[in-house]
Amino acid sequence: MEVLVLLEYLVATVIRFWLSKSDYNKLIADRVEISTPLNSWKRVTEGAALYNVGTSPYLGDMFHDNPLWLVAFNWMLQNVPQYITYIFILSDMMTAHLLFLTAQKFVGNLLTRQINEQKNYAKVSRQLLVSPEDVRMAPIFVVTAYLFNPYTVLTCAAHATTVFANLFLAIMLYATVNGHILLCCTALALSAQQAMYTVILIVPVCMYLAQGKQNKTFYMAMIATTFSTILCGLIYLSYHIAGSWDFVYATYGFILTVPDLRPNIGLFWYFFTEMFEHFRVLFLCAFQMNAAVLYLGPLAFRLHAEPMLLSTSLITLIAIFKSYPSLGDVGFYLALLPMWKHLFHYMQQGFIVSCFFIITSVLGPTVWHLWIYNRSANANFYFGVTLAFATAQIFLVTDLLFAYIKREYAVMHGLPRTIDGKEAKLVLESSNF
Amino acid sequence: MSVVISLNLLTATYFSENALLPGLVKGEYDMDTEARSLLVELEAEAASHPHTLPSAWLLSRFHRLSLDAYTHNFTLNYPLGSSSKFTGRNVYGILRAARSSSMEAVMLTVPYRPPDSVHPTTAPGLALMLSLAKFFRRQKYWAKDIIFLVTEHEQLGAQAWLEAYHGASCGLPGVLDHGDLGGRGGAIQAAINLEIHASKIGYIDIKVAGLNGQLPNLDLVNLVHRMCSKEGVRHTFNNKEKVYKNNWWATWSRGIHTLVSMVLTQATGMPNGNHGLFHRFGIEAVTLEGFEKVGRGSPATFFQVGRVLEGLFRSLNNLLERFHQSFFFYLLPDTDRYISIGLYMPCLVMLAGALIIKAFTLWIKVQNNISIAEMESPSSDENDEEDKTVNLNVMLVGTAVFINHLQGVLLFSGTQHFTRITDAYSTENLLYGSYLIGCLLTIVSPYIIRLHKKTDNQWVLLNIIALLELATVLLAVGMNNFSLAFLTAVIYVPPALWLQSSNNRWYKKLLWIVLHPFFMLSWVVLGFTAVTFPELEPLQLLTKAFVANKQALVLCAVDSYIYASWTFNVATIFFLPTWSLFWQLTQSHSESIEATFDEEETAKKQQ
Repeated sequence: MEVLVLLEYLVATVIRFWLSKSDYNKLIADRVEISTPLNSWKRVTEGAALYNVGTSPYLGDMFHDNPLWLVAFNWMLQNVPQYITYIFILSDMMTAHLLFLTAQKFVGNLLTRQINEQKNYAKVSRQLLVSPEDVRMAPIFVVTAYLFNPYTVLTCAAHATTVFANLFLAIMLYATVNGHILLCCTALALSAQQAMYTVILIVPVCMYLAQGKQNKTFYMAMIATTFSTILCGLIYLSYHIAGSWDFVYATYGFILTVPDLRPNIGLFWYFFTEMFEHFRVLFLCAFQMNAAVLYLGPLAFRLHAEPMLLSTSLITLIAIFKSYPSLGDVGFYLALLPMWKHLFHYMQQGFIVSCFFIITSVLGPTVWHLWIYNRSANANFYFGVTLAFATAQIFLVTDLLFAYIKREYAVMHGLPRTIDGKEAKLVLESSNF
Repeated sequence: MSVVISLNLLTATYFSENALLPGLVKGEYDMDTEARSLLVELEAEAASHPHTLPSAWLLSRFHRLSLDAYTHNFTLNYPLGSSSKFTGRNVYGILRAARSSSMEAVMLTVPYRPPDSVHPTTAPGLALMLSLAKFFRRQKYWAKDIIFLVTEHEQLGAQAWLEAYHGASCGLPGVLDHGDLGGRGGAIQAAINLEIHASKIGYIDIKVAGLNGQLPNLDLVNLVHRMCSKEGVRHTFNNKEKVYKNNWWATWSRGIHTLVSMVLTQATGMPNGNHGLFHRFGIEAVTLEGFEKVGRGSPATFFQVGRVLEGLFRSLNNLLERFHQSFFFYLLPDTDRYISIGLYMPCLVMLAGALIIKAFTLWIKVQNNISIAEMESPSSDENDEEDKTVNLNVMLVGTAVFINHLQGVLLFSGTQHFTRITDAYSTENLLYGSYLIGCLLTIVSPYIIRLHKKTDNQWVLLNIIALLELATVLLAVGMNNFSLAFLTAVIYVPPALWLQSSNNRWYKKLLWIVLHPFFMLSWVVLGFTAVTFPELEPLQLLTKAFVANKQALVLCAVDSYIYASWTFNVATIFFLPTWSLFWQLTQSHSESIEATFDEEETAKKQQ
């Protein structure tokens, strides 16, 4: 199996390398689905150039990354410009491997917990429980889903900075399951520097790390304090680098007020181009609450026993609802799903959702072409497709959460549908096929 | 089932009227005498240039009207075979707008056909254009530049001129060298292409079908029909005039007839006039083809047609924004009726939906098989063989899908190289031969690449993938070229639904092999030849169709390289692999796990 995983890394590297170096690279990098104003590499080079000539890159409307990232990217562009492709591929491989380790550890923990708690469980069919087979296979599925998902492959080939955001999230997840508080908080703070919404992930992180501790409240407060300290430190460092507070409006303000309405796969641009200007603030608040905090409370209460699922669903919801989402975010959370392999039995919409994903992924560029190049279609067509894409993602996350709740019930109370003690399934009668 | 529903929907479509932008001003064009003398002069000039465009004469004509006149040279490096070069020359004149800076322009174009051309002459149209240029020159109300363009070599000239005007290259780099232009106007808003074959015109046919099935804005089409009605010129769509009958059946069948002919024209993805090349650049364009008057009755003369064009240009001159109001996606069953995208798209979606539903039922079946097997396996102590039949081997299925697509991509990317293998045979023969071999390979490949035996679920999974791919491709193509997607769906969806994942009977195999995309081309060409030349003997017909088939294949490939028409690309890269996926299914044999389970179930029930 190790050989298989190594082979996967190798093939994935070759694919990414080939795409980065081929003529398609520019085409991919210019796709609005992949490059947003926040993560486009073109804008990074622009910002670095401005920084080098001594102009603040935050005065214009070009660059929206954090000063820390600016310095890092600038260093890359100045010193190792020929290795940038390798840096991107290496980061992506590291993300994949961290996810692999995370999944291994996490599913292992699940199994241990299950063995401890099994005496409380109702007598159920074995497919509901985590099996040792799952511990072996789930990490492989996770890493495969990350390495060969076209969304992540294209994001890496386009040199979108989402690659690094994903890397920090992966470090954060890895540190969480392994209990490294400092690493976890640092990674999360770094990720929040770019994506901002990920700040809310501190809640599941606290919940996970405090599990099984004596003094929970104190422990959680400690983690939160560590995180805030690091975050404030980083922001101050950014201020120090940038020399003024201009960057706050150009980065966080840019994410919150959504001034750039270039189409993307999210839901903001269409609504904000269509609506009357004096409602803008109202809808901005509504949309941002939806993206950031609306689901945090209810989900945190319901999923307090499973903070990892809370993380996964929050990462998913952020990727759907944030102001400048890209396919790289979608690819990242899709790779997390195989960790929940034991819930798949209860997921009902997997097929429909994957059909939606395939069809919208093909139709999106098609209607974009009709709209922008042929001038025969219009914005409504493209928005229709992105709306369908978002709907499919929402189906996916609700399906996952439902599956968790159903399984939890079934494990505790036995399968609800039983006939003579055997599992009964609803079977669709069909004889023609 | 879905087919029946969709046909019902089409017939039940109600036709909604729309009328926009009528010509409000009175026509003033009166230079028909001028046009007739120009025609005489032009014919004399053409006789002395039997092969080429009389560019000097045209330039002098434009200069005499003090228009900005230029020539435009272009070169074609023929993409197939041993590369040969063709050159051509366009002539154009720009009438600068009196009332604005050159921000916008409208165009009047005529494809010039020398006397030795196989196509009917367009000289009367050219004469009319020149007289219109003279008339337009004297008017003071122009707010947009008017560009008069005379192109050579049919669509090639128009394509080269457009590429040069926009400084873009559409086809394969290096194939069409579009050269450069001496002068430009503003952004072109609309273009009218004139193909008038005689000075006494029976009726004017309005052509809309563009490259890759793109259509001009419906407002422009309506405008042309409206102006023709206003000036009393008989006008048709797809050579069908509007008839007023009380008999609903006659009206309906005529509508269907027109509709079908439009769908067939659009489905080829090739423009039926030079106007079709403008659409890609966001320029709304139609072709007005005037046919000679035959039989009794009074013909339309230059006077009337000139006034139609005058009205058209005055309306276009009034445009404040570029065309965006009306429909870009429509079907026309008559000159003044249309079917909007909202009505026709559901038909295609239903056909694609049928595929997805079948894929879904298959998926549920696979899930059932797995869970049934898993329930039974504890009792049979992890029977290895059982596991093999049940587990979905994604790797093997993925490889099969990959190989099938690789075949398509290789075939497509090899097209140019196939024709350069040897000089002993003509390009047509080489290309046809290599494609025949390629397609035979796709037919025999299931025998070479055998999937793991006895894995029923693999076949089902392959079937699901094939169904989903077909549905997705149909939808994506349908957004661009509805007609092509619809015809493909009507032909391929019912058999695709009918095929089983494995153990298909011989007649299903035969049916599917008949539907091979390469053979489909032959059937289409054969049918077309039979309709065009009904007098031929069967054997003659076959030879003629065979030759035409070879030419059609070459034309498809060349169009793809020069004009970036994607019909050929989609057919080789998507349709062909999807076909071979299904073909692989028809060749599969497996001891159906479903059957055994069904038997067990029935046995249990009987007990």
